[in-house]
Amino acid sequence: MAKVNLRIDEKEITAEEGQTILEVAEDNGISIPTLCYHEQLSTSTSCFLCMVKDKKTGNYIPSCSSKITDGMDIEATSDDIFEMRKTALNLLLSEHSGDCEAPCTMACPAGIQIEDYLRAARKGDFLEALKIIKERLPLPMSIGRVCPRFCEEDCRRNVIDDQAVNINDVKRFAADLHYEDYLEDLPKLGNKKIAIVGAGPAGYTVAYYLRLKGIKSDLFDMMPKPGGMLRYGIPEYRLPKDVLDTELAHFEKMGGIDVYCNQKLGEDVKLDQLKEDYDAVVLTIGSWCSRSMRTEGEELAVGGIDYLEELGRQGWSGDDPGETIIVGGGNTAMDCARSTVRLTKQDVYVYYRRTEKQMPADQIELIEAQEEAVKFKFLTQPIKLRKENGRLILTCIKMELGEKDASGRRKPIPIEGSEFEVEADTVIAAIGQSTDAPEGVLTNRWGDVDAQDDNYLVEGNLFSAGDCVTGPATVVEAIGAGRETANSVAAFLKGKEYKRDYNINVSRGHWQSLSKDDLVLIKEPVERKRAELEYISDKQRTNSFKETNKTLTEEEVKKEAERCIECSCSYKEDCKLKDYSEEYKAHPEAMVGEKIRFDYDMRHPEIIRDPGKCIKCEACIKVCKEVVNKYLLEFKERGYYTRVGTELEKPLPVDCKDCGECIEVCPVGALDWKEKKR
Amino acid sequence: MQLLEPLEKDRSNLIKAIQMVQAEKGFISTQAIKEISDHFGIPVVEVEGVLSFYAQFKRSKPGKYKIAVCDGTACHIKGSSRVKNWLVEELKIDDGETTEDGLFSMETVACLGCCSLAPVVSINGKVYGNLNRKKLLKIIKDYKNRGDN
Amino acid sequence: MIKRIKVGMASCGIAAGASEVKKFLQQNIDDENIEIIEVGCIGHCYAEPLVEVETEKTSIFFDQVEPTEEYLEKILSVDKNSAMTFRDERVSREKLKVTRLAGRIDPVSFDEYIEHGGYQSLEKARKMQPEEIIKEVKTSGLRGRGGGGFPTGLKWSFLAAKEAEKKILICNADEGDPGAFMDRSMMESVPHQVLEGMLIAALATGATELFIYARAEYPLAVKNINKAIDQIYEHKVNVFDDRVIDITVKEGAGAFVCGEETAMIHSLEGNRGNPRFRPPYPTDEGYKGYPTLINNVESFSNVPIVIKEGGKKYAELGTENSKGTKLFALAGDLKYAGLVEVPMGLTIGEVVYDIGGAQRGEVKAVQIGGPSGGCIPAEHFDVPIDYDSLESLGAIMGSGGLIVIGSNRCMVETARYFLEFTTKESCGKCTFCRIGTKRMLETLEKITKGEGSMDDIEFLEDLGPKVIEASLCGLGQTAPNPVLSTLRYFKDEYLAHVKDKHCPALQCNDLVDIFLDQETCIECRQCIKNCPVDAISDDFVVDNDICTRCNTCVEVCPVDAISRVKRGEKNG
Repeated sequence: MAKVNLRIDEKEITAEEGQTILEVAEDNGISIPTLCYHEQLSTSTSCFLCMVKDKKTGNYIPSCSSKITDGMDIEATSDDIFEMRKTALNLLLSEHSGDCEAPCTMACPAGIQIEDYLRAARKGDFLEALKIIKERLPLPMSIGRVCPRFCEEDCRRNVIDDQAVNINDVKRFAADLHYEDYLEDLPKLGNKKIAIVGAGPAGYTVAYYLRLKGIKSDLFDMMPKPGGMLRYGIPEYRLPKDVLDTELAHFEKMGGIDVYCNQKLGEDVKLDQLKEDYDAVVLTIGSWCSRSMRTEGEELAVGGIDYLEELGRQGWSGDDPGETIIVGGGNTAMDCARSTVRLTKQDVYVYYRRTEKQMPADQIELIEAQEEAVKFKFLTQPIKLRKENGRLILTCIKMELGEKDASGRRKPIPIEGSEFEVEADTVIAAIGQSTDAPEGVLTNRWGDVDAQDDNYLVEGNLFSAGDCVTGPATVVEAIGAGRETANSVAAFLKGKEYKRDYNINVSRGHWQSLSKDDLVLIKEPVERKRAELEYISDKQRTNSFKETNKTLTEEEVKKEAERCIECSCSYKEDCKLKDYSEEYKAHPEAMVGEKIRFDYDMRHPEIIRDPGKCIKCEACIKVCKEVVNKYLLEFKERGYYTRVGTELEKPLPVDCKDCGECIEVCPVGALDWKEKKR
Repeated sequence: MQLLEPLEKDRSNLIKAIQMVQAEKGFISTQAIKEISDHFGIPVVEVEGVLSFYAQFKRSKPGKYKIAVCDGTACHIKGSSRVKNWLVEELKIDDGETTEDGLFSMETVACLGCCSLAPVVSINGKVYGNLNRKKLLKIIKDYKNRGDN
Repeated sequence: MIKRIKVGMASCGIAAGASEVKKFLQQNIDDENIEIIEVGCIGHCYAEPLVEVETEKTSIFFDQVEPTEEYLEKILSVDKNSAMTFRDERVSREKLKVTRLAGRIDPVSFDEYIEHGGYQSLEKARKMQPEEIIKEVKTSGLRGRGGGGFPTGLKWSFLAAKEAEKKILICNADEGDPGAFMDRSMMESVPHQVLEGMLIAALATGATELFIYARAEYPLAVKNINKAIDQIYEHKVNVFDDRVIDITVKEGAGAFVCGEETAMIHSLEGNRGNPRFRPPYPTDEGYKGYPTLINNVESFSNVPIVIKEGGKKYAELGTENSKGTKLFALAGDLKYAGLVEVPMGLTIGEVVYDIGGAQRGEVKAVQIGGPSGGCIPAEHFDVPIDYDSLESLGAIMGSGGLIVIGSNRCMVETARYFLEFTTKESCGKCTFCRIGTKRMLETLEKITKGEGSMDDIEFLEDLGPKVIEASLCGLGQTAPNPVLSTLRYFKDEYLAHVKDKHCPALQCNDLVDIFLDQETCIECRQCIKNCPVDAISDDFVVDNDICTRCNTCVEVCPVDAISRVKRGEKNG
């Protein structure tokens, strides 16, 4: 064989005549992406991802088809080529339909692989389920009780019967069942150590994921016991503190996570000192200052979060506050109202200046508050508070809805002359919370700690995450941020710059815009109503702080998990289009246009064909024709409407189950086994 | 298929074979695909792949009068889209469809090569040029009057 | 004394009513000495139906002949006063070489072709060595007339150099460009000239099997060329000293991409017409693996002239890098549509204004090269027609479609139209062409609907060149040309659509209202009677919500009281 001399990316190479640029590049450690090239198949020259530049002509050429010639000078890696490949991927993504990730996982701030743990739960393998959950969430017992269930809001099961899968209660069951006998594989501890200020959900999450990387941490908290908002903000009836104690004890069991309580920042511990003593410091101090009502006499009201904190300090008990008005419409207002119901026989009111529909509190909180006889007055705004004869007199004004404001909600405006007065023993202002940022720490315009979006770094070796960065948010959001902060800190300790993973997600759309025909169902959905938790009696609910509901049974959980329709792409782990798109920073929405709606084919007992995913690389057709020596697939139609078809649109022969070569070569899962692999 | 008997069983005659069937039957039925596949000894799916690539081939029965609306450049700038709309309104069918009575089918085609007479349509191969609405509707009416005979 | 009456019966003539004329003449002339024959197209399509009356001494033409007594009389009396006049503006600029016989002789009469010197070049070539023939073609500077402009002699030498059991020659007659009909006209009018060129090429290259890949939409062309083939078989013109040449006509089946040579080969083999990566080039590995050469109809039609005149003489006509003549199919907004043959180097303006009779000031641009070409604005009409000049303007010679675009046409819509064509014709194999053209088309549709943004214009400017760079075959490599050339020369029109939601040409229906000016209106009710959707009220107000902008009322109004106006500008 004659030898050919050429250059690829400035590298002098001698290769055999007859080889392609792609082959030679690969042999020489220069990686060129391709979706349509396969060694055992004739070339298709379809995807154009393998483009390189012939420096002599300036032309882009497909390296899979171009034979090397003597003196060739090839550019395989450059900004121009990156850009062309990115465009090719953007184009392919714009015609590709599917769901790289399930909408529940996309919605989850912690990014839990929900389909996977539901699958494990369905099989009764709850230890596996818990393991999957803990890859993303270290506090499943607590979150299993307090999560606002973003996942369920986006659950595609809604398309089938308007009821999301009860995802969170599956988590709660798995966590309750196995918490005490579960222990992660723990690496040996190294000599790095970080300080975490604030032993709430964010702080514990940072500590947990650092521990999994062999990094020690010391947690400092100003309260007598750890847990932060979980202990002092979320009432006992939602999250029993013995459950929390069980959960937090696990961290101790892991070793390498030490908690120091009654340590107030600025008094007992100094930030500068911590920064010096530890390799890194993470601020996870939460958002604990009540916002005031900004009305005359506001000092006569109790702050919502202060009220809850006090009850928490007293072990979720307290004196009868008498007739109580809570001002505000968020979850803290609900927690205050429902806690008060449990302390008094008198009326408990919630006053909110907008309508019921506009309330920021979770729907379930509102319903449960109403069940517990909390009384609501909407479109009512307090304007003055005074004390007369030992009672509080609150002056309010009626509101009506005007034009939309910046938040897109219609803005409440006072109705002139509609002022009225009400009496109460206690007024609680649950208007919102702010962050008490330590002195000398950078803050943003809302007074929250100013940490960088992509790596949670504040400055030097100081990081921050959770409510103190975002303002008051949910526990699961704090946990999501905590895990990323741990990754960022770990990178920092290695002297590396942290970059959040770039993940793409092609989506068929939100369930509200879909009908059953839009879904790819790999099995017929079971007909079953959503399993709901059993509540304790109404009397028990209003008399005590006992947990309001009971964990589902094992049988209920298994059956509930069967309701999941597994709507994410079965091929996501193997999808080359996804991998390359992430490598080349392509985006599914970069080019928007018609996506053809193809029917998927489930008629074969073991193989699913989903032509909507197909990128027309021709590999399945070629492997069947050239390697298997059958000819079962062929392109039909042409241009944008080209698709891979079978003989007279009949199902693939049953025998295909013993071959599967087409599935092997498919880069995107347009052909796949029905049975998921994991 | 008897029609294909004289045709040499060489793969290169495949398109010719499909053309012959279409000329005879007006369209390519599933049965015809199977027979063509038999004639050449190639898979059915391959025949389907080839015939679906070419715009000339129809898988469903066209009307008795096949109207081709030329959308070549000259016709386009002389208003072929209007010509098409006039037909859509008159016949209540869209591109590629056949009227319920099976009398007319319509499709837009690339240039018929009579650019100097734009806009043009052809009906069963006969070209009508320099169309305006009135002229076109008159032509359609004449065909309607001929009816099924 | 009338010898013969010739009726122009190419497709254009038939469409204009030539069949009726011929029938009428046959029925009404019973003089057995007068022969009535069908001929092809002389290129003056605007004048169809055309009848030529040949006497012993002279011949005169009658244009726009109707099947009436009146015309019969004029014809029989050879009435010179009623004869068609050939405008000097055209005659002085045209150079009829390739089309010398088009429309002048009976296309399917072998004898008549011979009488006019046909097959003499072939005879001459038979006495030459193959390399001599190729040398003449090289000397002539003849370049491929199908689009690319590759030197014909050089291509021939590649095939000639091949040692193979079989060598294939294909005549590309798959003239798919909308607006182009040069090849059709040649095959309909002088099929023997095409065949003569092919046979000379076979002599020169050693090809044994010849194909003509013709558009199926050209039934008359296919019929005539098949008749001509039968005739040369009969007269053994295809028998060479060492071999007998087979010529087969294969009809395409409606796929523009099959004009690309590798796609054409796949199609001839009975496959889907997908192009493939080159190299290997067809001259190395073509039809069924044999070395294959492809030239188009016009290129082959030039060959007999090259051999007859000699390469050197042939090369005297034209410009430095573009020799000989070029056929153009003239159409669009001009007075004299038809087929013209002009020497290379004539300016675009001469073709458009002088030959085509378009009004200066009323022409915005020409589109040369069909959907693969580009728009050239009127200010560049002084540019000579040759391969390199056109390319420098962002157009291509292409096969010779030349569409005149009047000042009342929207350039965005024009670009959209061409891109729609190529998008439909993409084979779907490669990413940039399959999806890229579709996304560009969708973007243009947005713009013509007034829903576009500046981002959309940027998107077109960014993606267009990438589709050109990263497509496998000529279709994708040229598809963005109409968009990019209109963006280059008519950006203001794009901006008007995007920024002002206004179509300056008032062509884009979504951006236009129909306005009836009651001051001018004479209340003749023609508009109301003709409106297909009853959008005009009894008191002469157009309801633009109902109106489909079909323009019927604008056309029927005798006093021009109805016009297209900017959307929302009038009518409230």
